[in-house]
Amino acid sequence: MSEEKRRAVEMLNISKIYPDGVVALRDVNLTVYEGEIHGLLGENGAGKTTLMRILYGEIKPTKGKIRLFGRKVSFHGPWDAIRHGIGMVYQHFTLVPTFTVLENLHLSFTSVEKKMSESMIRRNAEKLMKEIGFEVPLDAIVEDLPIGVQQRAEILKILLRKAKILILDEPTSVLTPIETRELFKTLKKLKEKGITIIFITHKLREVKEITDRVTVLRKGRLVGTVETANVSEIDLARMMVGREVFLKISKKPAKVGRKVLETVNLWVKDDRGLDAVRGVSLDLYEGEILGIAGVQGNGQKELVEAIAGIRPIIKGRIIVDNVDVTNKSTVERYRLGLAYVPDSRLVGLVFDMSLVENTTLTNLHKVLTKTKRILWDKASEIAVKVVKELDIIAPSLGAPVKYLSGGNQQKVMVGREIVREPKIFIVAEPTHGLDVGATEFIRKTLISLRDKDKAILLVSTDLDEIMQLSDRIAVMYEGKIVAIGKAEEFSVERLGLLMGGVKA
Amino acid sequence: MMSLAHFLMKFRERIRARYEEYLVITIETLASAIIGFSIGALVLYILGFNPAKIYFILFSKGLSNPNYLLSKSTPIMLTGLAFAIPMLAGVFNIGGEGQLYIGALISLIVVTSTHNPALGILAGMVAGAALGTFKAVLKVYRGVNEVIAAIMLNWVMYFLILYLLTEKLYNPQIPHESIPVPEDARLGKIPTPIGDIRLIFFIAVIASLIIYYILYYTNIGYMLRVAGLSPKTAKYAGFNPNLAIIYSMALGGAMAGLGGSLLLIGYVYSIDTTMSTLFGLGFTGIGVALLGRNNPIGIIFSAIFFSMLIIGGEMIELLAGAPPELADVLTGVIVIALALPYMYRMLISYMRIRRLIKK
Ligand SMILES: Nc1ncnc2c1ncn2[C@@H]1O[C@H](COP(=O)(O)OP(=O)(O)O)[C@@H](O)[C@H]1O
Ligand SMILES: [Mg+2]
Repeated sequence: MSEEKRRAVEMLNISKIYPDGVVALRDVNLTVYEGEIHGLLGENGAGKTTLMRILYGEIKPTKGKIRLFGRKVSFHGPWDAIRHGIGMVYQHFTLVPTFTVLENLHLSFTSVEKKMSESMIRRNAEKLMKEIGFEVPLDAIVEDLPIGVQQRAEILKILLRKAKILILDEPTSVLTPIETRELFKTLKKLKEKGITIIFITHKLREVKEITDRVTVLRKGRLVGTVETANVSEIDLARMMVGREVFLKISKKPAKVGRKVLETVNLWVKDDRGLDAVRGVSLDLYEGEILGIAGVQGNGQKELVEAIAGIRPIIKGRIIVDNVDVTNKSTVERYRLGLAYVPDSRLVGLVFDMSLVENTTLTNLHKVLTKTKRILWDKASEIAVKVVKELDIIAPSLGAPVKYLSGGNQQKVMVGREIVREPKIFIVAEPTHGLDVGATEFIRKTLISLRDKDKAILLVSTDLDEIMQLSDRIAVMYEGKIVAIGKAEEFSVERLGLLMGGVKA
Repeated sequence: MMSLAHFLMKFRERIRARYEEYLVITIETLASAIIGFSIGALVLYILGFNPAKIYFILFSKGLSNPNYLLSKSTPIMLTGLAFAIPMLAGVFNIGGEGQLYIGALISLIVVTSTHNPALGILAGMVAGAALGTFKAVLKVYRGVNEVIAAIMLNWVMYFLILYLLTEKLYNPQIPHESIPVPEDARLGKIPTPIGDIRLIFFIAVIASLIIYYILYYTNIGYMLRVAGLSPKTAKYAGFNPNLAIIYSMALGGAMAGLGGSLLLIGYVYSIDTTMSTLFGLGFTGIGVALLGRNNPIGIIFSAIFFSMLIIGGEMIELLAGAPPELADVLTGVIVIALALPYMYRMLISYMRIRRLIKK
């Protein structure tokens, strides 16, 4: 390296503990040179977004210093960061959907420069667009525009405020492949103009394609910063996933029975109307755990919601125990022996309702009389059974479940399904956010269910969990199953590559 | 033996679990009332009145005539339910006013032609339910905000009735009143230890109890409450949150409609052409529901309390010359004070987070 590069961003020994005690970052260092595209790579929950929100002044670090172009700074809010030439494009856009693009641009100036008139902004925007060579219809209503164009408007907004450092948080996760290519073209143009770009992603291919250097985070810690040209995708996968000693859980060999769940060429859209599941065909057998690995947002959530009947499907069929349930309601599917434990306790539980009311949620038909009266005594009996069977610690049956610990809440969600004795369990992120003890308990419970000949479909972004529990593994990437096979066929590295969209 | 012991254990557990909750609610409600009355006293003092004397009039006159007190509490009890039921399903129904109007109007038309009070009441309930359902359908299928729809429809109902009263349904003998409910179709009073009490009060109480039963002991009520607290969870459990919205608005509308028809058939017997007999009862119901914490049993008592304030407020004006708005001030302050515990909790959690971040 002959010329001395200027350091645009230096983040030194950054730690962040969220108010609820989550340690999101531990002593992380990040140096970004002026004019480079710097990748920030890591699994879900690695702390990428947190680190960038700190740089953008949106949250304060618990510890650590930030320097911009060599000068120490301390931000009280994003407006400070904006004044220092930093701009951030979030995973979720911050445009007013019912305003035109121009009105949004105008609005964004009110916090920095009040005297800009709309015609001045229009002139500047048009000039800038010509320079960078991209186009955004200024007079179009934002919500009528495709996502890719909305994102461009968001970038335009930031550049108009003379940003020198542009942060993009997983910008490609909302884009189609063609839009992604467009975005990369834009980013390269911006780089030529000397703008420094920080690009957050968990896709290895994108790191290789667009970045100059890349910093890898894992579970809130810095793994390292490397020159992209010097590393292979396999190296990156290893850095991202890491090798850790697994908690060992002894497991008998699976005794596989008959097929109880089948999806045939399933297509499902996500909340934004984009194809999230694109032609998934899966079989699930009694007595096995089929683990679905993948980075969050690759269609796993939409897939299991479609199987449970919560999300409409576009195309394809779902068969539960030889019955075609494609057009059947959620309740009917549950009654046919399907159980679904969602990935979020906010979805699975009503926090302000009691334990009894929560265990009743999926057991309602059992406690109803012919006149649709709820027999609360019977409902309490079920709750008592759930509490006993899963060793739930709760202040009382009548106390709202919000007073239970996360682990016990998770047990409520799993337990109320177990007492229904279904044949098929669909379990999403069953140990997310739980401590070691609760995690082990839930995992052992899943294995014992499998040993009782239940069929289990496990969706998890936690590779340890997938490796530990699954008899078979399927990897989902961009809505498709990119690999499926016996658990032994997958090493951590291979999984890491597949999850990052690399064929392996 | 086993099951008895088990039952006793469960019973004790349930009481213990709810005990704290009920205690907190009672304390909060009482505290809010005390704060409300204290601020009211301050206002009175500043205006140059003797707060003790005014409050004496307010309570003694407010409570002096049980029949008057309970009759006046009837419509606001029902409009209270009209607000509370949708609220539990997560919908903000401020349309109780319009639903009460249409209930009164339709039952007037039905009862004058059929001379059957039961039919009149039923028609009033159906009318209120229909109006409520209409708003729910607009919200669910067209995305129309229920508050805006309610504000507009309240006025539509107001002027519709005004028009019909002045042009079609007026009483030829007393032109500023509507045609009266036929004598043989009027609901009367029933004797009790505290004197004769209008039948309509008991009907309203029974309606509240039925609503309580529906909300807490039937699948519809359960679905409705789940959907109100967490629509995502409702979907997960296979309930349709949109259906919960529609049911709750239908049920709430029916209650406001019932309020309108009971008021007409069992109390005032005709509507005056300035609408002063009906105006504001729907809005007062919002306060009633808030004070009663959206609980049908709580609403019975808070409706009586509000009724006392209204009656006492009128007497203050007559006897002490204090402004009649004092009753409104008091109810307003009490409702705001009720929100204080919530604000207090928010403040504490905010401070705790601030402190943690500083560390
Ligand atoms: N506002 C928050 N409050 C509490 N915990 C949070 C918050 N935001 C993120 N976290 C937690 O911090 C960790 C890092 O999250 P995040 O920075 O979003 O990771 P990434 O962007 O790499 O997926 C996760 O464990 C996440 O659950
Ligand atoms: Mg993130």
